[in-house]
Amino acid sequence: MSITKKIVIGLGIVIIIIGIIGAMMFFKPQRDVQNTKTDFSYQASEIVNEYLTDSNKANNKYLDEEGNSKVLEIEGLVAKISEDFNNQKVILLKSATDKAGVSCTFTQDTNEHTLNIKTGDKITVKGVIRSGAAFDADLDMYENVILEKCDIISK
Amino acid sequence: MKKSFLTIVALVAITVSSFAQKQVSSKTHMKFFSTTPAEDIEANNYKAVSTLDTSTGDLVFSVPMQSFEFEKALMQEHFNSKKFLNTKANPKAKLKAKIINLGNVKFNTDGSYTANVEGDLTINGVTKPIKEKVTFKIEGEKINLTSKFNLTLADYEVAFKKGKPSTNIAKTVEVTVEANF
Repeated sequence: MSITKKIVIGLGIVIIIIGIIGAMMFFKPQRDVQNTKTDFSYQASEIVNEYLTDSNKANNKYLDEEGNSKVLEIEGLVAKISEDFNNQKVILLKSATDKAGVSCTFTQDTNEHTLNIKTGDKITVKGVIRSGAAFDADLDMYENVILEKCDIISK
Repeated sequence: MKKSFLTIVALVAITVSSFAQKQVSSKTHMKFFSTTPAEDIEANNYKAVSTLDTSTGDLVFSVPMQSFEFEKALMQEHFNSKKFLNTKANPKAKLKAKIINLGNVKFNTDGSYTANVEGDLTINGVTKPIKEKVTFKIEGEKINLTSKFNLTLADYEVAFKKGKPSTNIAKTVEVTVEANF
């Protein structure tokens, strides 16, 4: 094999590999939150209070720069069950004495796991954190911790 | 006498508080849509919280930015990154506005009303004045809000200087908002 031929083949392989890596990056699927290791487990009150104490510190700890934020397991009392515009179930975990709770949005795939849940149940939910709890002066109310891509871990 | 005075004060307080018509919505949908010859990009967010005071016309939206969901994971990562919306440093966007033609919107009468809303929009830590039209549909106790408007990304210091995102993301994106109070 001539040296030119070797170079051409070598270059060809490199180009193909770059192409495959590029395509893999471009078509990379969304993160599978439920199959991602849980980073932290808390009671709903614990994460709420951590945010209300120092939201900057908590954001630093839980939020990721590219949006692949921490995966949490939260145990709490079901205060409210609703549905969003995307037909996803939303369960609010909040104890009556807390100022804010943890709002957990399920997915088309996990919606059915919420069907036998009722208010007052004590459940554990796993999901990815999107934002923390805070008192918002403009809304004049407390905002909940937001978890999405949720599923029920135990009930 | 003192007792009856206190009763009157209490009654007045109860009446006033029941007239403070502040509505809260956590059933919301925000979408933004960008179109260029290269590709169309869409992102959806169902986690915004909004309050509407029908007596003063105050309208507030608080939007958790990491809840914007894209079809492609890579786009979502770009969106969240420091180069774009820096959602770790600025996890929420905020609209703080007021209905300026409140007299034209009859919140106690069924129908569809166009409201002119003026206020400040904060995205990516940058606050700019905004003036948009909002449609309210009233049906009994239910209030449905919809709006569609364009945002120029550069206004909020959101701009890719070079590379693929700079050609594939439109300079102006269309934002659609819906909320049920």
